[in-house]
Amino acid sequence: MKRRLPLAICFIMGLVMIVQFFIPHPTSLAFSSVIYKWIIVLMAFALVLAIGNLIRHHGEKIRRRKEDWPYSIVTLAGMVAMAAIGLTWGIASDSLYQKIFLNVMAPLGGTMFALLAYYMASAAYRAFRARSLEATLLLVSAFIVMIGFMPFGQYLHPRFPAFAEWIMTVPNMASQRGILLGVAFGSIATALKIILGIERSWLGGKD
Amino acid sequence: MKWYDRIATIDRRIIYVLLTVLVILPFFVKVTIPQKIMPQTQKLFDFIESIPPNDRAVMISFDYSPQTQPECHPMAKALLKHCFARDIPVIGLSFDPEAPGLAVDALVSVEREIDSLATRKEDSIVYGVDYVYLGWKSGRIAAQLDMGEAIAGVFPRDYYGNLIDSLPLMQNVKNYKDIAIVVILAAADYPIDWIRYPQTRYGVKVAAGLTAVMAPQYYPFLQTGQVSGLMSGMKGAAEYEKLVLEHGYACALGTAETGMNSQSMIHLLIMLFIILGNVGYFFARRAGKAPR
Repeated sequence: MKRRLPLAICFIMGLVMIVQFFIPHPTSLAFSSVIYKWIIVLMAFALVLAIGNLIRHHGEKIRRRKEDWPYSIVTLAGMVAMAAIGLTWGIASDSLYQKIFLNVMAPLGGTMFALLAYYMASAAYRAFRARSLEATLLLVSAFIVMIGFMPFGQYLHPRFPAFAEWIMTVPNMASQRGILLGVAFGSIATALKIILGIERSWLGGKD
Repeated sequence: MKWYDRIATIDRRIIYVLLTVLVILPFFVKVTIPQKIMPQTQKLFDFIESIPPNDRAVMISFDYSPQTQPECHPMAKALLKHCFARDIPVIGLSFDPEAPGLAVDALVSVEREIDSLATRKEDSIVYGVDYVYLGWKSGRIAAQLDMGEAIAGVFPRDYYGNLIDSLPLMQNVKNYKDIAIVVILAAADYPIDWIRYPQTRYGVKVAAGLTAVMAPQYYPFLQTGQVSGLMSGMKGAAEYEKLVLEHGYACALGTAETGMNSQSMIHLLIMLFIILGNVGYFFARRAGKAPR
């Protein structure tokens, strides 16, 4: 019963949600609207679980004095402080919460991402070698796209932007479409396996 | 050490210093290079141009985080300037939990910029009349689908806690029938859900402003017409800024122009180093020192 009930609910709801998607009748739309609201609430609860997990994970790290435990204090203090500031003084455009977000969180996030440019430049220089025909083709097309999309690419040769656009709209699009179709068929197969109870790993447990 | 070994093993610290200098340089030496507008950026601009003033709204989904702010924030500001200048109502929302802070910043900074230039009261931007920010919501796909029936059902209150029904703009905007286009500004695969679900079911028009690494994935949708326009990375943002300026909807270019110059410099530097590395590799291979 412990396994059959969730499987039955999954089968019934899976079929009902597929069928209702194609029926624009008011009853069908009203039903789906209720289900969507349930999903929104359920997803919000997932956030509560995530916060609980974060507190447990870092609390445990601090308690056991694991490696880099002082950073866990920063994480938890940051989370509590931002929540308290937001709940106490609000989240309006001129609030303290917004000021902290724009002047601390945003520059820190930007800095972390900007570091990638250094690693990418160094890695491209060391690893991007024309060792084979495929690697050479990749190298040449990357150069054309980069030059074509630069503002002064058109001054190096007037056809660079058009050639770069051609690479994006023909070879790139063909491969992207292939990947998209593959992913779509895979998703349909996986969804059917879950609805029909063939794929049961989502239930947890050993089998 | 031979010359070809030397150019193939340049110290990474030299690369880092050159990179830093080239990123900073365009901020001090202002260079405006005329650039060709990509068809997908022009398409989005033309679509916004085709919306009659004070008619259907433009819904902007702010789904980017501080990490991709340099690419997506100028897109947001240029698009908002375009909409506000043409009296097109804007409805903002987010499904990325990091996005609301940036969305509020974009909306308020454009509002203040327009208000500072307004000579008449009617030219200024009023929250609740010209735009509304709904805030963040969990359950992305479910929320997107449910908004097709009633936006107020998913967002009963806006970001600031006001009841949606109390806002004048929302009296005329009930669901996707009142939305001319949804523009998703994102650094992740958010637009695909809008195409798969609300567009398939309700026929809502979708456009996107994406980071340069994300954009190639959306070319197939652009060809089929499922995406009605696309701003691709910093270049797309700079192009949109240029279009907005050329049509008299803004007084100056935004930050994407400078960002584009920095990005171009880095691309040139990376290309130069890749060429150096390959020349070194080629000659080392000829001398039998490098593996094939």
